[in-house]
Amino acid sequence: MSKSITIAVLVTGPAYGSQDALSAYHYVKSAIELGHTIQRVFFYNDGVLNGSTLTSPAADEFDLYNAWIVLAREHLFPLDICSGAALRRGVIDQSEADRIGKNQFNLELPFQLTGLGQLAASIVTADRVIQF
Amino acid sequence: MLRAAFVTRQAPHGTSLARETQDAILATSALTEELSVFFIGDGVYQLASQQNPQAIACRNFAPTFAMFELYDIENIYVCADSLLERGISDIDLVIDVERLTQPEINQRIRQHAIILNF
Repeated sequence: MSKSITIAVLVTGPAYGSQDALSAYHYVKSAIELGHTIQRVFFYNDGVLNGSTLTSPAADEFDLYNAWIVLAREHLFPLDICSGAALRRGVIDQSEADRIGKNQFNLELPFQLTGLGQLAASIVTADRVIQF
Repeated sequence: MLRAAFVTRQAPHGTSLARETQDAILATSALTEELSVFFIGDGVYQLASQQNPQAIACRNFAPTFAMFELYDIENIYVCADSLLERGISDIDLVIDVERLTQPEINQRIRQHAIILNF
């Protein structure tokens, strides 16, 4: 087996509507199975839509939202959502909703609002940054 | 080997990707000076001066490229072939950038450990 490396994954596609996020999920799962470490998954651009807890696929379809949560909890990597990109797209957690004066929120742990600094940190420190 | 290459290929408006790429570049420059920016394909339109996107309710983020110098982002390249193909080789650009041919761009991108493509 090849040497284990640290991988950061950047997702810019939504949970549904393009294949990007599904491909990212399968990549992350495979990388873990091969013994590599996932430093974080960073969601940016339309990728932030992966964090909406209101995502409701049909009952007989793959639930990517829950799949991210199960994988992240089992393997202890963060699901980082860029807050600037998220707020513009209507993805918002409770504290931001309180701050801005919105009645609703749709982002919960283990997804978390963070800044682009987390992406920058991965670009500087990860062995690979893989983009979907 | 340099750390990160940001390759930006989208027109400035129509999608938010170009603007969000600019944000990501600025954020990354806070942590490393070993980064380069490549404007290729329709991405070269981002550098055009005298844009007026307020007319379509979009922010004019082209002037923010001037921040690159302030953030010590020095390796900025534009594809001369992309400018030529679009008939805009002689327009004013918002910042000073080095013009490279497509083969030169490809060779320069390969000098980076991490390549991000937007």
